This record gives sequence, structure tokens and C-alpha cells, in this order.
Amino acid sequence: MKFNFKIVVSLLGILLVINGGFMLMCLPVSLIYHEGGVVPLIISGLVSASIGGILWWSARKRTDDNLSKRDGYLIVTLGWLGMSLVGTLPFLLSGAIPNFTNAFFETLSGFTTTGASILNDIESVPKGILFWRSLTQWMGGMGIIVLAVAILPLLGIGGMQLFVAEAPGLKPDKLQPRITATARRLWIIYVGLTCAEFVLLIIGGMPVFDAINHSLTTMATGGFSTRQESIAYFNSPFIQYVLIIFMFLAGTNFTLTYYGFKGKFGRVWANEEFRVYMIGTLILGAIVSVGVYFNTGSDIERSFRNAMFQVVSIITTTGFVSADYTLWGPFLSILFFMLMFLGASAGSTAGGVKIVRHILLLKNGILELKRQLHPSAIIPVRLNNKAVSPEITYNVLGFIMIYLTIFVTSTCIMGLLGVDFVTALGSVATSLGNIGPGFGSVGPVNNFAHLPSAGKWFLSFLMLLGRLELFTVLILVTPYFWTRN
Amino acid sequence: MRIIIAGAGEVGYHLAKLLAYEKQDIVLIDTDKDKLTQVANSMDVAVIHGNATYFSVLEEAQVSKANLVLAVTSSEETNIACSIISKQLGAKRTVARISNIEFLLKKEKNLLKQMGIDELISPESLAAREIKRLLKETAITDTFDFDHGVLSLVGIIVDEGSVLHDKSIWELAHLNPDHNFITVAILRNNETIIPRGNTVFHLNDHAYFIAEPDGIEHVLSFTSRERRTIKKVMVLGGSKIGFHTARKLSIKYRVKLIEKDKEKCFELADKLPGTLIINADGSDVDLLKSEGIAEMDAFIAVTGNSETNIISCLLAKNQGVPKTIALVENIDYIHLSQNVGVDTMINKKLIAANFTFRYIRQGEVLDLTSIHGVDAEILEYEVSESSYIAEKELKDVDFPKSAIVGGVIRKGQGHTTMGGFQFKPKDRVVVLSKPECIGKVERLFK
Repeated sequence: MKFNFKIVVSLLGILLVINGGFMLMCLPVSLIYHEGGVVPLIISGLVSASIGGILWWSARKRTDDNLSKRDGYLIVTLGWLGMSLVGTLPFLLSGAIPNFTNAFFETLSGFTTTGASILNDIESVPKGILFWRSLTQWMGGMGIIVLAVAILPLLGIGGMQLFVAEAPGLKPDKLQPRITATARRLWIIYVGLTCAEFVLLIIGGMPVFDAINHSLTTMATGGFSTRQESIAYFNSPFIQYVLIIFMFLAGTNFTLTYYGFKGKFGRVWANEEFRVYMIGTLILGAIVSVGVYFNTGSDIERSFRNAMFQVVSIITTTGFVSADYTLWGPFLSILFFMLMFLGASAGSTAGGVKIVRHILLLKNGILELKRQLHPSAIIPVRLNNKAVSPEITYNVLGFIMIYLTIFVTSTCIMGLLGVDFVTALGSVATSLGNIGPGFGSVGPVNNFAHLPSAGKWFLSFLMLLGRLELFTVLILVTPYFWTRN
Repeated sequence: MRIIIAGAGEVGYHLAKLLAYEKQDIVLIDTDKDKLTQVANSMDVAVIHGNATYFSVLEEAQVSKANLVLAVTSSEETNIACSIISKQLGAKRTVARISNIEFLLKKEKNLLKQMGIDELISPESLAAREIKRLLKETAITDTFDFDHGVLSLVGIIVDEGSVLHDKSIWELAHLNPDHNFITVAILRNNETIIPRGNTVFHLNDHAYFIAEPDGIEHVLSFTSRERRTIKKVMVLGGSKIGFHTARKLSIKYRVKLIEKDKEKCFELADKLPGTLIINADGSDVDLLKSEGIAEMDAFIAVTGNSETNIISCLLAKNQGVPKTIALVENIDYIHLSQNVGVDTMINKKLIAANFTFRYIRQGEVLDLTSIHGVDAEILEYEVSESSYIAEKELKDVDFPKSAIVGGVIRKGQGHTTMGGFQFKPKDRVVVLSKPECIGKVERLFK
């Protein structure tokens, strides 16, 4: 098996050109607010676009348009790393984050929609740069490669390989026969929902700049805020309810959202994962509400709102904060820690394990009891009233096992780097799940700036691993990937 | 009536036989020359050699004059194409045999009707329906309800403990002072006997009765077989029939389905959420035991192999399963069932042929059914003002010897009939008749 290096290089080039385009889109913001950052943005944009252009130009004489699975994995992983490297330029050049480690952490935390930040004083960063920070999340949410597939029909057949390697979930439901058309529809919904949220936030009295940024980071389930205190700063119930709803939507399978827009609600409700997601969120919200009510003494509405907000924020892996859940007593702290392993729906912008995997595994576990009684019976796991093939069950088993193994080893490694127990657990869980806030010294009201450099690099790696659902990245370190045939 | 039958397989052959008795003009089309020669030698039908979807062949069969085209080849596509083309060429009604049950959905049925197919028959689905019907009671071998059960046909086996053994019909009448059932047929070895007063019941006879609702209990007391309500059913074979059977039965019973092929098992498990699918060889006795064959209330063998089906049913009987049903390909095997010990043997082609026959007779007959292995049809006629038998007493009607009146439904009430019974217009009369005298019986009601 030979790699089709020309197409890999060429696609990397295209991604960097798009990346540069997005950087230049931040210019108007910088110009309007006069807070600096104009020159760094122009330079970064041009650097990104020209590196991309050179790569694309150097591989222009493509003879073979075939994209194999390996090429797909390689492009996605290299693409994400490349964009994150170039994405640090605005932070570095503007001086907002002078340290390269921090800048890389922040950028990758953006692209992977984690939302963990090392910024100690967000408000002092120029608005143009902040906008770039939010935009990285928005690009990473739906996936920059999905976007490339959507707008560039030239990818054709290979588009599917890239889509699979980048888009979270078990397998993409094709809304349209052609992957390009599917990707385009997903992006239209994404853009549409972002605009809708922006309008509602403006109505709720949020300043225009904050509204744009929060819309971008909500739909990506990212969690970067333009305020140091995150959502708590605005202190508006309306804004919080709007965010709860949009975080929930961002954590819903976009294919279902598409059906919802078309009025096919039966089809939405027929989806088992959605039902569990919806009902589970409500039940957890109710439990936490009671906990908050008795722990903080807030009134019922406030307890409910804070509980719902935090629960939805963690489940959807967004990571916005309107109250500090670590102050709600040991039971709720532990519960929130566990929630970090849930993840929202497959096919959404959320990270983490994903509810459908939990459903499959739990059902499989229960059926194992029945299989003990009837050793020769064929008892498949059923999802959405369809039998799931054993291969998929094995895949999910493998995924969760690897996920937990990585979690355990990574926590140990963080300990080795001198991080305390609770912080190590929290930072690893939150990075791997692309959530944002953790526990201990990286809790909802703290940030990641004080962690050792090595720790930041390591967490960055975990974020990328989590965002690309383990396999895409891990496959690159297996010997099978590099041996011919 | 001019009837074209496409396909001289077992369904086509049996249909041709049933219809030939009726003195219909039948044209049989098939691609197999030898089969056609065989049919032409044994029946009074015209045969055409060729593909039933070719215009030239259909025109040769004078499809434009046909009242009915029955496309019953083993290929679904041929049947559909043949029906549509025939309709376009001027056939009045068309029937196509299909195997894909998706076509049987109402929406698809309407669409096919627009295209020119009036009726669909799926032997597999019909067989499954038949099996469901047969599972009502463990003690009876066959049953059929007329008009929601105001009259029922019930079949039992005269076994050693039975009071019927060595009794005649007259003697039986003394045991039946309420006159709430009547013996309509006896199946002895391969022979169907329409009983007369002096007919005597032998050991191992299959006896069939038409009974009023309170007579059923009485009939059931004639057999010493164990009566059990069926709860657990084991189906052997994941063929199309097996699938349909499990699908229909799993609504009411707990069904275990055993299939050899693993891939198929998975497919079945996907489509049959309510059924436990076991991946095993049905001839493995130990496995059947470990899957609890002894606790089953019914065992249904529907693999593609008739012999396997019969043997595994015997095995089930041996393990104490009260009700066994075997699917057989060979129609001649059906007559063996009582000798062998399998409760009922069914043949999907026979079932399909009977269903089609019923469809053809719609309008003339209210209802029609046949009993497995019995060479007779059970028909339901309505008496009209102008009928020959209207206002006549049964004993005064010159009823053919090979037919018998089982009962009458009057104003929603079932009555078994004795000699002094007087027919009235609007009565619905249940008659059992051998095929050769159906025509004669029919004339009585004209």
C-alpha cells in the first residue's frame, strides 16, 4: 500500500488556504473595535494562505485522485495539527499569548472544541484575536474537513473517507446520495442555528460582539467565552435559557435536526439515542436541581436554571459556566465528574464517548445474561429496532476500553508531572471529552495556565485524540498503518 | 370461463386439477415440455409450451378472451410481468404469486392493482396463516370457523381410548341427544369417506365434525388426547415460511426458532425481535433437548427438506410435544400423516392453490376451505328465493352421495342439520363435497 502523497499534500494545502481565509475574516472585527491585532491577523492570514498555496501548487499535477482510507486518516490528523500550528500565529504575533506552548494549547483547545483556556484575563485580549479564538471552535465543531468536502466537489469519492475520519459518531447517515450534498446540508443547518442563536442573544440584551462569539462557540459545543467569568458575567436568566436550548441542539445529531426542520418529528423521536439524550438530560437536570436547591439555598427557579445549565453544558461537552458545580457538595461533584464520560449524540458537534455507545454497550451487557442461558442462540443488540451487527458492538467495546485505558494512564502521567490527584483526574477527563472545565485547580472558575508545560502538551494531545474519536489518531501509531500491505 | 394458468408447477398443477372438475376452459403455459405432456395426458386442459411473459405465447393462449390469468410460476418477476402484460392484452382478472411480503401491504397492493394485478398470493405467508390456525387446540388436528365461530369444523383422531372406536354413525347419534354436532368426513388411510348412517369408526381414523359452539366440547370428549392451551412453540427452519410463521405466532405465543445458517440467524434476529433465534442443527437431539423441546406445546418443522421435517416431528412427539406440524414438498406425503404420527402435514403449494380456488369462486360461494389430506372442499352457500332447495326439507333433497350438509347459519345462529330440517331463503349452508360433485351441489342452490 503506497500513500498518495500528492493528494495528501494538496489537500493539506487547501485546508491551510481555508484557514487563512477564516483568519482574514477576523480583520473587520479588529478594524471596528480598534483594539489592535490588525497587522498580526493580516500576517497570519497571508502566511497560512501562502503556505497552503505553495503546498497545493507543488502537488498540482495530481495524476491519481484516489484517496485510500490511510490517506484519509493521514490527511485528517496532519490537517488538524497543521491548522493548529498556523492557528497560533495570531495569538503569538499580537502578543496576547506570547508563550508558544500556551498558544498551541489554546488553539488546539479551540479547534477541538474543548474550551479549556490558559487566558488569565480574557477581556484584555484584542477583540479581533478573541474572535479568531471563537472562530477556531466554530470551524472545529462541524469539522473543517467536512466543510472542505462540502464546498469542494473536487474531492468526489475520497470525500467519504475524510468524512468518516473526521466526523464524530459511528457512521454518517447520508442525507443525500452524494457525500458533498450531505456535508453541505449539515453546514447549512450549522450556520442557520448559529444565526438563530445570535438573534436570540441580542434580544436577550447581550452586546453584539459577545453574542456573535457565544453563538459560534455554543453551536460548536466549544465553550470559549469572551468573559473571564463565562456566562455568569451576564447574569440574565433569558440568556441562560437560550444557551441551554442551543447547547442541547448542538449536542443533537445534526441529521435529526435536519429531519426536525423538515417537520419529520416522528423520525426524530424514533431515534433511540435522541430519546435517551432528551429524557436523560431532563432526569439528571431534575436530580441536580434538587441537590442545588438543598445545597445552596437558592430559590427553585434559580436552582433549576443553574442545574440545567451545568448539566447540559457538561453532557454536550460545551463547558460554559454559570455557576461553580464544584461547590455543590461531594455528591454533585462526583456526578459531574461521571457526566464527563457521557458525551452527547453521535453526529453532533459534541465530544466524549457519545450516548449511543453507552446504550449499545449496556444493552449488550444485559443481553450477555440471556446468552448465558441460551449458548447457541443468536441474540443481537437492537438499536432503533434494528439488530446491530456484532462488528459494530466489538468496535464500540474497543472504543470504550481504549478510552478508559487512555484515561487511566493519562491521569497517572499527569500525576507524574506533579499535578495533584483531583486536578489530574479532572483535566484528563475534560480534555479527552473536549469539555473545558475540570476539577480541582482547573475547575469551572479556574484555568489551565498554571499547569506545567509538559502537561499542557500532553493535554493538547488528548484533546486531539478525543476530537477525532481515538481511532483516527491512534491508527497512525500502529505498525499496520505504515507497513506496506 | 376461460382461465390461463402460467406455470405448471405444483401450484399450477393442483389448480388446473381443481378447475378442470368445474368444467372450465383451462390453458396451461409452461417452459417445461415434459411436464406439459404429463398434464395433457392426465387432464382435460390445453397446454402451450413457452414463456408466459412473451406476447406471442399469451396471444396464442387467447389472453384477450381470458376471464382470469393465474401467474403461479416459481419466479416472482415472471408472475408480475405476466399479469401486467395479460391485463394490457385484455384479460379480465389477474392473480400473481409472489414471495416478497412487502407487496402484501395495502399501499403496495393498490399500486399493483393500478398496474394490472388484481390479487396477490404468497404461498409462504398463506402457509404461515394456516399454521397459526392449526395451533388453536392441541387435541384437534384441524379446525375452521364459519361466521366467527357460530359453526366450526373440528377434526380429531379416533384413538384407543376413544368412545367412537367401532361405533357407527347411528350409535353415535344416541350419544348426541342435543344434535349439536354432525360427522361430515372420515379420513381413513388415503381415502376420504363421506359418512352414512351405517359407517363405522375405525381406530386411527381422522374424523371431522361440524359443530355448534356448545358441541365442540362434546366432540373433544371423543378423543383421549391431552388438551393443553398452547404457549410455547418451537419452529424448525428459518426459511420464508419459518420466518412468516414465527412472525405471526410471536404475537401470541413464545416462539423459539432454530436455524442452521448463522448469517440467516442474524437476519432473522433482526426482523423478529420477539422470537428467540437459536443457531443449531435441528437434527441434533441433545441440542433440542437442552433448548427444552420437552416443554414445548407445539413443534413446527418447516425446513426445505420434507424428510427432516417429518423425522424431527416424530422426535418431538417422542419427547412429548402434543402438537406437531410438518411442511412437506411432496403432496403424496400428506396422506401419510396419520400413519406416521405427525399431527398435520401441510404443503404450501396446496394451500396456495386452495386460496386461489377460493378467490376464483368468490361471489358464487360465501366461503370455502379445505382440510389437509382430505380430498374434499368445504363450501358455504347462501339459499336464495329461487334456489331449488328453498323451503324444502333436507331428506327430500336429492343430495349427491359424495357431498354432505354440515350445518346452516340462520340469523347469525349455527344449526347442525338433521333430515327434517327445512331450508329457508337467506340461510347460509355449509356443505362438504368431494371435488367431482361440487358442480352438482352448486346447482341445488341456483
